[in-house]
Amino acid sequence: MKLREYEAKKVLKEFGIPVPAGFLIKSADELAPHLNDLGENIVLKAQVDVGGRGKAGGILMAHRGTAIQAAKDLFAEKIKDLPVREILAEQRLEIQHEYFLSITIDRSTKQPLILFADNGGVEIETTAQDRPDAIRKAVVMPLMRDIPPFMLRELLGSAPKEIGQIINKLYRAFCDKDAVLAEINPLVTTSQGVFAADAKFIVDDNALARQGIRVNRDLTDREREAEKHGFSYVELSGSIGVIGNGAGLTMATLDLIEFYGGKAANFLDVGGGAESERVMHAVRLVASVPSVKVIVVNLLGGITKCDEVAKGIISAGISQKVIVRLAGTNEAEGRKLLSKKGYEMLSTMDLVVKKAVEVTA
Amino acid sequence: MIYGDKKTGILVQGATGKQGEFHIGLMNTYAREVGGRGVIAGVTPGKGGQQVHGVPVYNTVKEAMREHDVTASVIFVPAGAAADSIIEEANGGIETIVAITEHIPVHDTMKAIAYAQAQGSVVIGPNCPGLLTPGEVKMGIMPSGLFSRGSVGVISRSGTLTYEVVDELTRAGIGQSTVIGIGGDPVIGQTFMDVLERFEKDPQTKAVVLIGEVGGNLEEEGAKSTDLPIVAYIAGKSAPPDKRMGHAGAIVEGGEGDARSKIARLKKNGVPVASRPSEIPEMVRALFRTC
Repeated sequence: MKLREYEAKKVLKEFGIPVPAGFLIKSADELAPHLNDLGENIVLKAQVDVGGRGKAGGILMAHRGTAIQAAKDLFAEKIKDLPVREILAEQRLEIQHEYFLSITIDRSTKQPLILFADNGGVEIETTAQDRPDAIRKAVVMPLMRDIPPFMLRELLGSAPKEIGQIINKLYRAFCDKDAVLAEINPLVTTSQGVFAADAKFIVDDNALARQGIRVNRDLTDREREAEKHGFSYVELSGSIGVIGNGAGLTMATLDLIEFYGGKAANFLDVGGGAESERVMHAVRLVASVPSVKVIVVNLLGGITKCDEVAKGIISAGISQKVIVRLAGTNEAEGRKLLSKKGYEMLSTMDLVVKKAVEVTA
Repeated sequence: MIYGDKKTGILVQGATGKQGEFHIGLMNTYAREVGGRGVIAGVTPGKGGQQVHGVPVYNTVKEAMREHDVTASVIFVPAGAAADSIIEEANGGIETIVAITEHIPVHDTMKAIAYAQAQGSVVIGPNCPGLLTPGEVKMGIMPSGLFSRGSVGVISRSGTLTYEVVDELTRAGIGQSTVIGIGGDPVIGQTFMDVLERFEKDPQTKAVVLIGEVGGNLEEEGAKSTDLPIVAYIAGKSAPPDKRMGHAGAIVEGGEGDARSKIARLKKNGVPVASRPSEIPEMVRALFRTC
């Protein structure tokens, strides 16, 4: 789950990385008591869960005298359709230089990967494209508590030595907070020292519980509802509902819909050992999406009992058409149950998908 | 045979749990059919002295290894403790560790794999269905009824999609040398490249089907590393960016790892890519005709 900037900066502070003086406000009035601590130059940053916030008008520059009005204006804005409910009001730094620092996971080496560049800020994407060598890299063996000093020297090049400590602190935060991405861009030098001017932090979804995060904000309401049943669910925009078992097979079903010219409404992986009740919940959940006209059920596996799946589909009692492909034990019984109730059961995934696309065409 | 055969003695961690018990039964049914050793020991802390389908259960891996000649293991331990199980087995000297468990925090996985590597153990998974070498050995949860013995290796990040493809291959009369699910997590022990290296040394394997999905570039990295003829399939062409498609590792992040660019890179390297699973058998046949 992606943390908001103020949450990410709280983590950085906890690990000893300097961040600008800042306060989270939920209304413009809350800003007044903090004005003295923020100094003359202030930046107001909308805390909304979208990328490209700056370009979309989510960041305003202000002064002590204009900050409260500017905050009022920002609270009245919508940033890429999202209302502004929280603003991070920060001291504006006198920046001397901007660096780029990012830690992620490298799938090839199976280790944390540290990226550091002398020219950070908005330039980093063009740097990555035009001069990839300008971004220095290091992978750290995950059993090590700290980054070896030689590696820090290699990363830093001619950058100030104190940044080395910040890299190591960010690495510790990355490990201890179960991050899959920890990024400071820009990391800035000022006459007062080095500061994390912006921060991005993504926590591993499989570690949310032990990090004390109860609600995964990255999911939509329906996706969260699905999670309660143990389903993996992703909302899409088409009219063909999809239920499969296993992530790969379900993805392949979506792709097949695209191949035959249709559009999927969702991705739903019911997981292993689909009993009738789970299947019923899955069918009802997908059927509750207003755009869904037809539902494709594609279940395959040695331990899936087809009669159980059939019972689940029937007991869901939904109005939309359900087209079923089932392979597993008790296939004949499943087929019998479904055909008695007038459901269509076909033998391959190509056939069910083709049929569903025809129905919605 | 690339990770084990009839003679491989298998240990199951999490032997007394629902999953462990169920799959010990299935693995040993398969072992009896092919005349293999199968699962010969189980481990569940605190349950030492019990038996599961006649297999003795021990409290620790060390105890089990004192009594039995095991070289491989299959882990059914819940996510919070599974990384510790990998470390315990590597510490005990088990050569091949298959981790079925899903939802292990990725930092735990990275540590466990680094430790196993330092001990000289090989980790398959986590979040995988294990492997099956038809006629030899089953280590994991694959439904053996779909398989047939032959010369095509299959490597996949998925479970059921692998069964789908194996089913298609078998129906088309194309047998498999070994079928392996390497796992749907972003960090996995054996990657496509590692398995392809084993397939290259396996005289039985003449061609490989590589089943990948969105996220990362391990498919391309693997395909580039080998001279074996390959047919690939990549799932997730319709996956929207920044959404996890069921597997923790199946995510298009920062504009990278999307299906179309993966397919383009594979094709650029001369690898034929199927646009749907049902095309795979015919494409494998075409490979055999040309080489």
